[in-house]
Amino acid sequence: MRRFTLALLALFLCAAGARAQNVPVQEVVLDNGLRVLMVPRKGDPNIAAGWITRTGSVNERPGITGLSHLFEHMMFKGTRTIGTKDIEANLKLLKEMDDVRAQMRAEDKELIRRARVGEIDDPKDPKNRSDNYRQLLARFDELTKREKELMVKDEFDRVYTTAGASGMNAGTSNDFTVYFLNVPANKLELWFWMESDRLLNPVFREFYSERDVVHEERRLRTDSTPTGKFDEQFDALFWMSSPYGWPVVGWPSDLEAITREEALDYFAVNYAPNNLTACLVGDFEPAQATALAKKYFGRLPRGPREPEPVRTQEMKQLAEQRMIAYAETSPQVRVRYHTQADGHPDDFVLSVLGDILSGRTGRLYKSLVLQQEVANNASANQNGNKYEGYFELRGTAKPGKTPEEVEQALYREIEKLQKELVPAEELQKIKNQSSADQFRGLQSNFGLMVQLLLRDANRSWSSINTDPARVQAVTAEDIRRVANKYFTPENRTVAIYRTKAAAGGDAEDATLAGLSDQEKEQVRRLRAALPQMKAEQVRAILQQVEQMGASAPADKQKGLQVVKKMLEDRLKQLEGGTK
Amino acid sequence: MKISRTFAALLLALTLLAAAPAAALAQTAQPSGIPAHPRELKYTPLNYAPPKRDKYRHVLSNGVVVYAVEDHDLPLVNISTLVRTGSYLDPAGKEGLAALVGSQMRAGGTQKMTAEQFDEAADFLAAQISSGVSSTQGNANLNLLAKDVDKGLALYFDMLRTPAFQEDRLKLAKSQILQAMERRNDNTSGIEAREWNRLLYGAEHFSTKETTKASVESITRQDLVDFHQKYFQPGGFIIAASGDFKTDELLAKLEAAFKGWPANKAAVPDVPKPTQVPVAGIYTVNKPDVNQGRVSIGHTGSMRGNPDSYALEIMNDILGGGGFTSRIMSRVRSDEGLAYSAGSSYGMGVYYPGTFRASFQSKSASTSQAIQIVLDEIGRIRTSKVSDEELQTAKNSAIETFPRIFSTAALVAGTFAQDEYTKRPADYWDTYRQRVAAVTADDVQRVAQKYLDPSKLVILVVGNIDDITKGNPDHPEYSLTKIAATGQIRRIPLPDPLTMTYPPAP
Repeated sequence: MRRFTLALLALFLCAAGARAQNVPVQEVVLDNGLRVLMVPRKGDPNIAAGWITRTGSVNERPGITGLSHLFEHMMFKGTRTIGTKDIEANLKLLKEMDDVRAQMRAEDKELIRRARVGEIDDPKDPKNRSDNYRQLLARFDELTKREKELMVKDEFDRVYTTAGASGMNAGTSNDFTVYFLNVPANKLELWFWMESDRLLNPVFREFYSERDVVHEERRLRTDSTPTGKFDEQFDALFWMSSPYGWPVVGWPSDLEAITREEALDYFAVNYAPNNLTACLVGDFEPAQATALAKKYFGRLPRGPREPEPVRTQEMKQLAEQRMIAYAETSPQVRVRYHTQADGHPDDFVLSVLGDILSGRTGRLYKSLVLQQEVANNASANQNGNKYEGYFELRGTAKPGKTPEEVEQALYREIEKLQKELVPAEELQKIKNQSSADQFRGLQSNFGLMVQLLLRDANRSWSSINTDPARVQAVTAEDIRRVANKYFTPENRTVAIYRTKAAAGGDAEDATLAGLSDQEKEQVRRLRAALPQMKAEQVRAILQQVEQMGASAPADKQKGLQVVKKMLEDRLKQLEGGTK
Repeated sequence: MKISRTFAALLLALTLLAAAPAAALAQTAQPSGIPAHPRELKYTPLNYAPPKRDKYRHVLSNGVVVYAVEDHDLPLVNISTLVRTGSYLDPAGKEGLAALVGSQMRAGGTQKMTAEQFDEAADFLAAQISSGVSSTQGNANLNLLAKDVDKGLALYFDMLRTPAFQEDRLKLAKSQILQAMERRNDNTSGIEAREWNRLLYGAEHFSTKETTKASVESITRQDLVDFHQKYFQPGGFIIAASGDFKTDELLAKLEAAFKGWPANKAAVPDVPKPTQVPVAGIYTVNKPDVNQGRVSIGHTGSMRGNPDSYALEIMNDILGGGGFTSRIMSRVRSDEGLAYSAGSSYGMGVYYPGTFRASFQSKSASTSQAIQIVLDEIGRIRTSKVSDEELQTAKNSAIETFPRIFSTAALVAGTFAQDEYTKRPADYWDTYRQRVAAVTADDVQRVAQKYLDPSKLVILVVGNIDDITKGNPDHPEYSLTKIAATGQIRRIPLPDPLTMTYPPAP
């Protein structure tokens, strides 16, 4: 994502379809295959405008993971007209930069080989670089300076911003890449000019520094959040053969090696007009918009070949998979089952089933949180992607309870759904909510525009009008059937998160001062394990420590005191603290 | 740092093209009739006048102000009530009380219905009902299908007027709060926000008073009842309504709903101002297991009503508030690739001064380099004039995006209700675009010199401090120690998450 998180998009997708609501979409297909969707609406003098390419990380392969997303960043770097003072000199320079980079990559390959056979420790350590590599780096810095001299900095943003466009952004997911903004109603032609220009004449400037930006994005979202790294591992574990297993942001080794040439090849097929849909919602005349679409988007040549659907399908899972993570988070569990893709009949049934389990009056809250008091939060949902789908249940253990206890409670709710039919009123409640949500999803022009694009990328925009009836048609028998079909032990992958004590702060280090390394390690392990322990366990260990303390030599006393204090603190916490 | 710009606005008469610098390029329309550069495009002027507050303002017989904006496109109704209260009214030792009142009004049932009955009734109606209390405001919201508005209003007023604060729901909420409290030192973004506020407003101001295990445990159901009784009184309500209704019919329904609920006009205490003067310098919080430093740089900001606020808005937009066209983003992100998000905001407080804050996140090795760039940019906007192009970009953007502020019926009603709550002058929006258009490059430099003070900057760094201090061996010229004028770097320890006591700094 260039500037926003994709959770938002997911929300748009969820809030879909109304029982009686028919969204009047006018559709025009250009000769080159580009589809234009239009929903004129009077009111606010503004137009929500966007386009989508049916390209996401599932269209990548090992070696170029993360390219779709990196590409999204590059689409803001200008064109042959926008962003340069001298396009010919600019292109010549880019060629030179690519040549230097190619030589640097040869050096990198050699460094990685040497690290593989143990000749060096770290292929990225500057001291392992050859003289040639150092010269190449200096040369590249020189070329980068010249590139800046030729650039009109951030002109693409500036043209739009000055014109009063707002909310300009883009997002990449597993299945698609989408670009959008709001433009004042009198600036529709500007949008057509700018978007068709970047599709026709893109120039990927600042390619290598933008790769560093993507690295920072990865650090921000994945590496430096308490569970980001583990969530990524969970995805990789869950998907055996499907490309949904690698992260949208890509594996770091690929990100570092992707070349501008690879980006251009990818662009030629995936950003061809026959793989795109554009959408306008707001204050405009469809006849005028159609004429502009023909004039501007009509310039784009049809791609050299039709884009292929993803070939590699997920293998059937044969055995339960499990991972146990120690993270700075509350103890929790995630249980995931392979199900069906977006639009499959069971996708609708599983969505309703997820709603039956979730929310304030959902079964998980009523049972796990209120009645059994085993969890503090719990929810479930179906996630139908374009090519594959999964159903996930999750819960956070109440203090004193374990993630495994939450897991077992989740299974008991599933068993109920496998055995008993959902009562009519409970099912009707979900359908009522679905009906109201359809209207809520239409409240904002921007939300409707994104929703139509996402739907068109997966199946067809018309699903916004046909899906609601499919939700209303779900029966209690359907729910029991899918619960039995998908929720089997061998079809699931489970992540257990145990709490690792928050690291850091200067105070914490002080408690370890004076201990031997071995003792420090023991204290850290105990600290990680403590949050899962029950009072009686803590009491038992405390007793042992006290006994040891009586006979331990002087140099062990300090370590024992530290451990004793931790145990006592935890015990106080478990027993309510105030006495 | 949010990239979305502060609300900005637009000048209708001024089209972009007229304002753009004269193009060196001649008209070079191609055979297709497509201009060679977008600056050659011509636009019809867009006439826009903001809605008038008085047109939508009504006063019920009990004095409650209602902003009602009809919108018949979709069969939905939105009702939102603003309540004059806030967590600044938490009694000492009961931190967390106001927030619990907010969440438990909705979660804890009413005198007529148990929590379970209330939840089932709302969910079956597909009505979204919520309530909350933030630092300086309470609110209660209803969104549902227009056909169910009578049933929905009955539930909504039941919640607003006679919440039961059921014990078991309160117990659950406390358990959830305590569980989250234990995780206070996990996330660097949370640590950064907390310590930033403490550095700027001091540990004694209400805005930095954290809940503790003891404060949450001491809160009883009776405390909730008393707080609600004291502050959730119609005398302090302002209502924003929008959607598929006829205004006179809706007003009649609201009159009926308030019947028998006297409007108590007891004065609510003022929001206290901070007394702390921030101490300039570098502060660090060590989190060794992350590979990115989070940095906030800034000082005390200003308040609404300051006549320089328009120039300040433009100045900040150029410095770091304007997303990709702003200087900080351009230098830190696109020039150097040192951060994913980078920018600044200039806070104009309603009750007490906001803060000026530039922020970014960068890998440990380049954190110091990025700090230096931000400091350089803060200096540069004070010492030299901004370019015409920068000024036009920022002003046009503010002027042209102005209609977005009122782009839906819900925004019209909500904006006017908030304006009344915060006592914004009635002509504020009518004159906004003119005032922005009047800002000059000299104004920008003048306010930069007056309202940005390099000698007062607080610099907060959260991350792996050892790695950040080591910096980048290829660029030894950038270092935290060099940036610290006196060479002093103050380390902030992590507090105990349950008591919020800070161990002595080493």
